[in-house]
Amino acid sequence: MKNFLTVSLTTFVFSSALWIIWSFFILHFEASPNWLGSFFYLPHAARVVCIVYFGWRAVPALFLAELWGPYFDIFVISTYINLVPTVLSVLSVPLALQTLNIFDFHLGNTKASPLNKRNYKHIALITLVSAIYNSLLVNLAVSNLELSSQEVGINQVIRFFIGDILGTAVVLCTLAFMLNPILRNKS
Amino acid sequence: MKEFYQNINDALNMLNGLENDLNIRHFTPNELKVFYTIITRSAFNQHGSNITEIVENSGMSRSTVYKTLKKLSTEGIIDINQSQDDGRESLIILNSLAK
Repeated sequence: MKNFLTVSLTTFVFSSALWIIWSFFILHFEASPNWLGSFFYLPHAARVVCIVYFGWRAVPALFLAELWGPYFDIFVISTYINLVPTVLSVLSVPLALQTLNIFDFHLGNTKASPLNKRNYKHIALITLVSAIYNSLLVNLAVSNLELSSQEVGINQVIRFFIGDILGTAVVLCTLAFMLNPILRNKS
Repeated sequence: MKEFYQNINDALNMLNGLENDLNIRHFTPNELKVFYTIITRSAFNQHGSNITEIVENSGMSRSTVYKTLKKLSTEGIIDINQSQDDGRESLIILNSLAK
């Protein structure tokens, strides 16, 4: 539990910032959140990056950040059922890591590690697997618990899957651009 | 705290690899700013942005933007095309989108 507070605070701020940026674009460029918003689902990047680099310690802060997203109202008991998709979304990344672990792709930070935290291609693989879990499990929960007024079809699963991947790619590329001066000094 | 910094260092190393493969390592801060503005504009308009839009969105002077665009064009990163609607206007488009 070392550095739990620092990790939680960093994770919460990073995840919340992505939620705010994503909501801002949804509200400004779209009347109803559907295709465009889902296609660049930025918050998935926070799940991937924070769980890959900070481990399980990041899960509570990620969960809290997702709670103060637009779908949860603490004063309305009936909305508590919405916690299920939120938990599944956050857990999609640890599930992806566990799945890769089962296939002997252990996460580490040395060159010999089958999955190297320092290699963005390996992060892309984790993103891909977690996007599969997220799109399947969340839509399964939404469908079974009847949380959506619309019918959940295969197109929604595909939209979630593509959105998670593109959203994470946008965030990572933006971070690489923004941190260019730091990265240049570093090497 | 050492472990936390180690994690941040790992994340920076990952971004460093991404930056290398995007081939933006040699960019100056001005070039990076203009390039980033063009990418952001491309998300909203695939037909390209005009120079005035890039000047306004990058917050840099027109002459600096002109010089930077010329360099990016020479390196083959962007294409500068004449607008079909207005012959006096040039449209800037990322090379990958132009193909």
